[in-house]
Amino acid sequence: MQKTGIVCKGLLFLVMVCLLTGCSDREELEDRSYVIGLGIDKSEHKGKIKVTMLLANPEVGSMQGGGGSTEKPREIITFNVNDFIAAKGTANSIISRKINYDFLKIIIVSEKYAMDKNFPTTISDTQKDKEIRMNTYLAVSKENASDYFVENKPKMETRPHKYFQYMVDHGIENGMIPDSTLFRYFKTLERGTDLYLAMYTTAIKSKKTKYKSEDEYMAGQEDATGELDDTQFMGSAVFKNGVMTNKLNGQETRIVNILDDTTDIKDILIDIPDPFSNKGGQFAARIMKRENNKVKMKSLKGTKPQMIITIPLKVEIMTNPSMVSYTSEKNRQILKKQVISFLKVMNENLFKKSQTKLKGVPYPLSLYARPYFLTIKEFEKFNWGKSFIRADIIVKPEIEIIDYGKQSKKPVKVGG
Amino acid sequence: MDQQSRKLGIREYVSIAILMVGAKATEDSPTILYKQVQNASWMIPILSAGLFFIPLLLLLKTLSLYEDKDLFFVIRKILGKYIGILVCLIIFFISSAAISFDSRIYTNIIRTFYFPTSPVLLIYAMLMAICTYGAKKGLQNIGSVSYLIVYYAVLSLYIALLLSTQSSTIRAMFPILGPGTIGLMKSSFLGLTLFADFFLFTTIIPYVMSGKVFRRGTWIAFVYTTIQLSVILLVYICMFDTTLGTIGYPFHTLIRFISLGSYLPNVEIIFFVIWLLSAFIRFTAFLYINGMMFGFIFKIKDFEYLIPSLATIYVMIGSIPESAIAVSQIKVMISGAVGPVFIFIALILWLVALLKGEFKHAKNRNSM
Repeated sequence: MQKTGIVCKGLLFLVMVCLLTGCSDREELEDRSYVIGLGIDKSEHKGKIKVTMLLANPEVGSMQGGGGSTEKPREIITFNVNDFIAAKGTANSIISRKINYDFLKIIIVSEKYAMDKNFPTTISDTQKDKEIRMNTYLAVSKENASDYFVENKPKMETRPHKYFQYMVDHGIENGMIPDSTLFRYFKTLERGTDLYLAMYTTAIKSKKTKYKSEDEYMAGQEDATGELDDTQFMGSAVFKNGVMTNKLNGQETRIVNILDDTTDIKDILIDIPDPFSNKGGQFAARIMKRENNKVKMKSLKGTKPQMIITIPLKVEIMTNPSMVSYTSEKNRQILKKQVISFLKVMNENLFKKSQTKLKGVPYPLSLYARPYFLTIKEFEKFNWGKSFIRADIIVKPEIEIIDYGKQSKKPVKVGG
Repeated sequence: MDQQSRKLGIREYVSIAILMVGAKATEDSPTILYKQVQNASWMIPILSAGLFFIPLLLLLKTLSLYEDKDLFFVIRKILGKYIGILVCLIIFFISSAAISFDSRIYTNIIRTFYFPTSPVLLIYAMLMAICTYGAKKGLQNIGSVSYLIVYYAVLSLYIALLLSTQSSTIRAMFPILGPGTIGLMKSSFLGLTLFADFFLFTTIIPYVMSGKVFRRGTWIAFVYTTIQLSVILLVYICMFDTTLGTIGYPFHTLIRFISLGSYLPNVEIIFFVIWLLSAFIRFTAFLYINGMMFGFIFKIKDFEYLIPSLATIYVMIGSIPESAIAVSQIKVMISGAVGPVFIFIALILWLVALLKGEFKHAKNRNSM
């Protein structure tokens, strides 16, 4: 009798397994098509947008040691729609499987549409669709987003989701592109005190580019040759009140990333003019930021507020082209002063640019002003946006050189 | 089973209380509070707890006069038969409305985030069916289960909060006073509803080991949940900043945002399952308490059999509002009423007991 009971209970458990499939929201992995990248362009038709979907083929690369299918790793479709949520249904007239935004990694907006005043309304649809996660990246492309996805043909990382993930992750670590998630976009838009930076990218190399130093390029200007994919991620697009207004190059984006405590940057490798060389030589340094900035604000209620920003940085000297010996205290002091003044000038130039051209601060500096006020009313009366433009900003880099590198001697010249 | 083993110990009682009160930060209460007092909303649980402290103390003191008797018995004893029944009915109706709309909110959360195309009624009926099954098992079982899962619930909550700090900034809590002291004071009345459950817990005194255990458990749970609610709100504010006012369900947005590195990017399902378990406990206990109240008011001894029909009624009431927006509007109305009404009842009880000289009688009894 007891055995029958156990068997019955066991059978009941088996019946329960059937419940796990769900009813109305049953999903078959097999008949889903996952959108990895979403492109938004201005449409020729009034009030519509042009949506481009980059769909990944999950079959490619999933099998170990080859033997997988010979299908292409991706599929791209572009069409005119009213919004990209209803577009999921429309796309089914072209794509055989059900469209799903669950694995959406990146939303690419063409520069032209990002400057359109309708852009904030379009992008806020992402908050409505629960499939789209707020950690999806927002990027601005120089060309039309539809062309961007077609032109972008990665040589090594053919699976699109991996390509975008690695490209963006490492770009952010290097500081060349901002950490521009949708989450930050909406946060900045709601806060209404500062500017939002979106990563800038292009798949078309610009024809003539002047040679510049290391990181002063925009995407597309870096003149790389070889057998490669032309897509580049560099610099950033500046959004004011949710609409793109300006651009920052790689170097400026890096400075913003160093200033911004809310982004995760790793070590940044840069070239700094060598104080011991009179021919404009440069040495390489690794800059590490381990601590948060200290910001002091004075006379906020006055006509000219003063902001003193202290940036604690650790620097490692990587090369020494002028072969100066750093064993002497004097040389070390010269070097330190050089690094400090270099960073100070770069930072203050950025603030000058943001006060005059951008008309706003490209990172949430206003958060540092908030503790000086007791209530929200007082803070609103203070009007951060206007006060920032008037403000006198002093940047004080606090440099600690933790490594001078291997001390090399000048090689003895033959016959010298 | 002997009588003793059917009673709740302190750990079971505290875990039920933590799951029921602590769960309020994982639905839409934080958004409601944020809309009122913006970035100072983390202070509301503390301020409201301060406000709620005195009535709760008085209530517990009044109840301690009648060892092992529940709230309804005491109400009837102190306020008399007719007024007593009326007050009991008011409490029952308020808590019925609260359970109906709260469970509807949970259904909305489950639907919007995880089952977008399922009909509301199906999810709602499933949720309540599970809770009814649990409630019919009795309070002792609810207590044991909640003690089993309280650690998982609390731990997973803190892990989620900890992971979210990567993308948050503590400066979002400034300007420290938010809308100013007056606004804070006003809203702390609204926050009273967060602790309304403690008032309802006094109806389960006969099921707790002893009055002393109950009082100790209440204070432990009260202090702990105050701190927890405040911490969760602070984490939300630091993470979402001003967008918190536009996000309906911050906890679920948060668990969808966080990730465990790039290899485990979408981990919300782990947190969701544990959250669902604690939701079951919350409504199971709530349903049981409501069933008990009903049984007491209408003198029905085996009130366990009433629970399925009560649950059906609650599902029907909860299904009246068409959309999530309507539900949250009703919820704001109810939460505005719950706190002050319960406080008023607690104060009246104490006052009448004082005037009737019940405290003196008790003293005399003790000294004899």
